[in-house]
Amino acid sequence: MCINHNETTTNPSHFEESEQAAAPATHQDIAWNDYRELIKGMRFFDPHIHMVSRTTDDYQAMHQAGIVALIEPAFWVGQPRTGLSSFKDYYSSLVGWERFRSSQFGIKHYCTMGLNSREANNEQLAEQVMEILPLYIYKEGVVGIGEIGFDDQTAAEEKYYRLQLELAKEARLPVQIHTPHRDKKKGTERSMAIAIEHGIDPSWVIVDHNNEETVKSVLDKGFWAAFTIYPFTKMGNERMVKVVEQYGPERIMINSAADWGISDPLAIPKTAALMKMRGISDEAIKLVTYTNAIEAFGKSGQIDVADFESGFSIDQSEKFYGNSILRGGQQPSPVKESILIR
Amino acid sequence: MSDLVKEKLREIITRHISPSEEAWLLQKAVAPPLELMTAFVSCPRFLPKRIVAPEEADEWTLSTEVPGFSITGWSLVRLARVWLLTQLDPSDKEVYVHHIETLFDTAEMNELVALYSALPLLSYPEQWLFRATDAVRSNMGFVFDAIALHNPYPEKYFSELAWNQLVLKTIFNDKPVYLIEGLENRANEKLALTLSDFAHERWAAGRSVPPGVWKLTSKFMNTTLLGDMQYLFESGRPEDRQAAALVCHEATFPSANYLLAKYSDLEKSVKSGQLTWADLEH
Repeated sequence: MCINHNETTTNPSHFEESEQAAAPATHQDIAWNDYRELIKGMRFFDPHIHMVSRTTDDYQAMHQAGIVALIEPAFWVGQPRTGLSSFKDYYSSLVGWERFRSSQFGIKHYCTMGLNSREANNEQLAEQVMEILPLYIYKEGVVGIGEIGFDDQTAAEEKYYRLQLELAKEARLPVQIHTPHRDKKKGTERSMAIAIEHGIDPSWVIVDHNNEETVKSVLDKGFWAAFTIYPFTKMGNERMVKVVEQYGPERIMINSAADWGISDPLAIPKTAALMKMRGISDEAIKLVTYTNAIEAFGKSGQIDVADFESGFSIDQSEKFYGNSILRGGQQPSPVKESILIR
Repeated sequence: MSDLVKEKLREIITRHISPSEEAWLLQKAVAPPLELMTAFVSCPRFLPKRIVAPEEADEWTLSTEVPGFSITGWSLVRLARVWLLTQLDPSDKEVYVHHIETLFDTAEMNELVALYSALPLLSYPEQWLFRATDAVRSNMGFVFDAIALHNPYPEKYFSELAWNQLVLKTIFNDKPVYLIEGLENRANEKLALTLSDFAHERWAAGRSVPPGVWKLTSKFMNTTLLGDMQYLFESGRPEDRQAAALVCHEATFPSANYLLAKYSDLEKSVKSGQLTWADLEH
């Protein structure tokens, strides 16, 4: 039988040995307890993470690693939404259930609200979403309009990006810009130029998913430069350390953008540990992993550090809409060291 | 709803806010619907967080215009939100209903509380029946309170089935049943018998029933309920015995009076007016 060579190489069976090199390692072999020691006592703020697609185990690990607050930007959930109701339910979960779930693990939850660029291309639905968006952006704990901007850089994306910039101006809310994966440099420049064209002060705009190619221009223009530590596709944290070494900690912040992809909700504490190992000062680490994000998104008037700075008490027997995070018979806070899972 | 209510609410709000806050609110009240609805959401960003302190005369005016309506214990934001809703133009029914429905669909918990509190003041009251009965079905504590307690809407518009559900759920949730508006007006035989069944289930599980709920049974006294009264009299709980005495005193069913006569101390205090239902309201 004639075998198509391409077919076997692009889609080998599980039993076939791949000729390709093993996937690159995404995590250095540093034991958890070693790096935990390095960041002991530090507090972290993750200004971009999609908890709706993460588990409760993640919340527990994040809390243990020192993450005290986070921002969940409205985003694309991996599958197109087919109607306005899906958007309403999603937005409601960001200010409702997800915020409650987070609080149950000692983490203060904020969010940004927006129509994401990818779904801006479904104009009929986008129109309907824009109608109800004002009813969400003013809710308590909404710290910005986000994440908005470009994906494919289409005309529809530009239209809804501009409309949402106007909304942010009107509501006096910071803007969180998602920069595209493809043709990033051009997309980033275009996003910034349009924001300036709309008369938005760059100090109110957080440009996200930067890399070595975009950071200089973003900082030079006076915007906040956010970096996403995300395996394979965005920044690695060794590269991040170099960026901080080169540009310093002013107006730079890091996040995990952890979502339904292969990502790491502990990206910030791990990067902080690495920065500490490479000799970056505690003060600079604090700026890029905590203070800068609070300053930038705090312009919304919705962040009070007293709510999380010294931690807050957790009562896992509390309920949200009569629903507890605890499933039938579960006891609050199981002992993780025990091998018995009851 | 009369303009007097709107005016009174505005007057109370004005007393609690600064001139610039008032200017913001007044401007939003006459804005196009979407802007007004956005203001409904954004009230906590523009108005102070405080509890309103209505004067007695205010409450009197409100309850004269809309019997059973009260704003005692409300936050200023809740009051301002309810007032904003009364400013929506109701002339086009379809548009008006669509706006209110949109607010329900997008509401977070505090907004839902305001929406349910506003039901007695909204136009087209029958339109909100599904929402109102749904609020009773759900387990949202604050939202449940907003529809069930101190709210005259259910008394006026709920079907008997929905009304009985509301009362039962209030008891089931251990909420003060006497805070339901129209409790006595809407007492009915079905509810009285269901309460008896409910009490039997509780007793079987070794639990008790709040004594105040027996008030709903006196008009419908029969041999089954009389058996319950006997059980209450014989229970060791003084409040249960007092409740049984009050029910038997109010009931026209002859055997109830005979039963009460067996407990002369209780009979004396209930007949002299020394013991009333108010003693069991807590």
